[in-house]
Amino acid sequence: MATQDIPRIMKHGRVTPWLYLLPALVVMSLFIVYPMINTIALSFSNSDGTASASTLCREGRACWGIFENYRYALTAELNFSSVGAFWSSFWSSSYGNTLKWIIFMVSGTVSIGLLFAVLADRVKYEALAKAILFMPMAISFVGAGVIWKFMYDYGTQQVQIGLLNAIITALGGDPVSWLSTVPLNTFMLIIVGIWIWTGFCMTVLSAAYKSVPDEILEAARVDGASEWTVFWRIIMPIILPTVTVVVTTMVINVLKLFDLVYVMTGGNFKTDVIANRMYTEINTNYNVGRGTAVAVILVLAIIPFVYFNIRRFLAQESMR
Amino acid sequence: MSKLSKILGLLVLVTLVLAACAAPETQAPATEAPTEAPMTEAPTAAPTEAPATQAPTEAPVAGEIDCKGAQSGDTVSLLYQWAGEEEARLTEILQPLVDACGIVLEPESTRDQGLLDTRVQAGTPPDVAFWNITQITQYQDQLIAMDTLGASQDSYIPGAIDSGVMDGKWLGLPVKSDIKTIIWYSPVNFEAFGYTPPTTWEELDALVEQMVADGNVPWSMGLESGDATGWTGSDFIQDILLVQQGPDYVMGLIDGSIAYSDAGVKQAYETYGKWAMDEKYAVGGAQGTLSTGFNPAILKVFSDPPEAMMVKQSGFAGGTVTAEYPDLQYGTDYDFFVVPGAKGLQGGSDWMMAFSDKPAVQALVTYLASEQGGANWAAAGFGLSPNKGAAGNFTDEALVKQAEAFYATEGFTPDIGDSIPGGFGSAEWKAIVDYLNGGDLDAALAEAAAVQAEATTK
Repeated sequence: MATQDIPRIMKHGRVTPWLYLLPALVVMSLFIVYPMINTIALSFSNSDGTASASTLCREGRACWGIFENYRYALTAELNFSSVGAFWSSFWSSSYGNTLKWIIFMVSGTVSIGLLFAVLADRVKYEALAKAILFMPMAISFVGAGVIWKFMYDYGTQQVQIGLLNAIITALGGDPVSWLSTVPLNTFMLIIVGIWIWTGFCMTVLSAAYKSVPDEILEAARVDGASEWTVFWRIIMPIILPTVTVVVTTMVINVLKLFDLVYVMTGGNFKTDVIANRMYTEINTNYNVGRGTAVAVILVLAIIPFVYFNIRRFLAQESMR
Repeated sequence: MSKLSKILGLLVLVTLVLAACAAPETQAPATEAPTEAPMTEAPTAAPTEAPATQAPTEAPVAGEIDCKGAQSGDTVSLLYQWAGEEEARLTEILQPLVDACGIVLEPESTRDQGLLDTRVQAGTPPDVAFWNITQITQYQDQLIAMDTLGASQDSYIPGAIDSGVMDGKWLGLPVKSDIKTIIWYSPVNFEAFGYTPPTTWEELDALVEQMVADGNVPWSMGLESGDATGWTGSDFIQDILLVQQGPDYVMGLIDGSIAYSDAGVKQAYETYGKWAMDEKYAVGGAQGTLSTGFNPAILKVFSDPPEAMMVKQSGFAGGTVTAEYPDLQYGTDYDFFVVPGAKGLQGGSDWMMAFSDKPAVQALVTYLASEQGGANWAAAGFGLSPNKGAAGNFTDEALVKQAEAFYATEGFTPDIGDSIPGGFGSAEWKAIVDYLNGGDLDAALAEAAAVQAEATTK
């Protein structure tokens, strides 16, 4: 009887799926597709989008024609005079810094998150421990940036108002300018990122950890497997799909990272990242062409991870 | 079957939503209509015209205000960055015009420059914007020339409007100016140690050495300012350039005829770096300079005990001091002297630019460029005004002293970083920050010079 209430048009036909998709398609094309096409178009034009990027070419200078903005975005920060110079300029460029963020923040959040997920499972106050670890997630990035800017504050007076420097001077050490000392500063920023995101990784990984059937674990332990073996040989393989999803999600998050760097150093002192560079080019330098070229490069860098995540998701769906 | 009609209804709804997206165009005439209505009403609305005849009798000094044919009820939309007290002062300055012509001001205050950019790109700019010189360069094709709106170049002190002229067209009024070539100090501390404000660069140099010998730190140099970190340093270096090379050299850097990697620039950086990177000369040495905010840096000179003896900062620093220490008095507790030996001044202005030439905008431009407008600006104490009419009308003591230097200067140079488009400003800051942070000076200057060359070659 119930099926008769459903109007025929919704049951089948070629048009039906499109009707369901329509709202999403409208929103997507207005807010994602159109801006994206516009961004790509702007990345091939001059600083205010009024002429082709090839008009930016000047005699006696390297130029990639219509791809001039991409030449700038990709090579301006790099020094090609020698291999050593290239490496050091790359490592302190926005690309090198983003790479540092990916390597250290993703490994940091996932490993610490996993560790806490496993350890918290074994204590009575699990809920409390997890709540504390998750709490930074509730703070906005800008807020966290401001908080940690105070933590890292470097005062010129005898009294240090920054917590870290207060501890160091209390122990008789010399205060450190955490945010302007290269290359320490990028890692100090990454610590803030880890502080914020570990809670997220822990929650997801904890859910996966709890879904590991007890029977298998018990069987392993009865067979005499050590906890170490149980973790690496049984738990890890079972939660591996979740771990990879968390890793790719984190990589995407880190690639888009902007707020922390903008608030804490403004991209100064060799801490610039790709997203902040895009902002600087557009909003400080009024170079919309160059800024959008950086944006397109960023999107291209993110696409493989999004693709991987979707593939993973589809594979999981089909298993059900 | 009724279900089918519901689906159809849904579809209609969707198309309505889609249609709503196109609404702005269709709505535009509708919003214009109400503004037209008061215009036609104006002639009959006699009472509102009364103030126009009253104004001259009420304020005989004020003189005539030319309404340029603007009708009572005409609107002018304004966009500016001022808020709070600053906004109140602007309102006070514009009040005589409003009273005289019955113009309705529709001000909007925002710190977000993106709002202005978006509106201009969308083709719906405000009638008038008060913003930086950069926007004049950026929007030179959209802006209306000031002389066609009723302003005269003769109303301004020589050189003041030069940077607002693009390809021979004069596109903006410098309304609120600030001089940067000044050094703030505490007369109390100076007296305690027997220091006197220097009158030549050599005397300043000797004074600095004397302070170091006495165990005092001469400078508070903090230049941290978020994503604009470095501008305090670029101001200082430009002042050193004015001392060592003069205003023509600075203008040469701006038009690109002198490369930023020139030996003169390097010399100025080294003079600055000698102080800024040494703990004996600047609070906290290089790291202190890099990580101290520009506002806290000002306060370090007036704290108890003081951390430093002097801070080089623009005219606004006085306001920072009184905001933190309301009891301090200008002249006795805090004071300033012009950077000794500087040939010419460095200063910046907020510029007024017009995107519309309607009568009400003409009236506004004419008023602000008039002698009366300048006088009212000065009387309101809202920064300096390069309008000749402002001279002698300042009441605020600190402004009176700044105005003295301002009108006597042999050359007025705009901020180098602000005057070169295409990212030179941030390249300059980066050069300073890299240099102070232990980077190679030649490499830092070469990088900035490359950006300069790119921006200045046409």
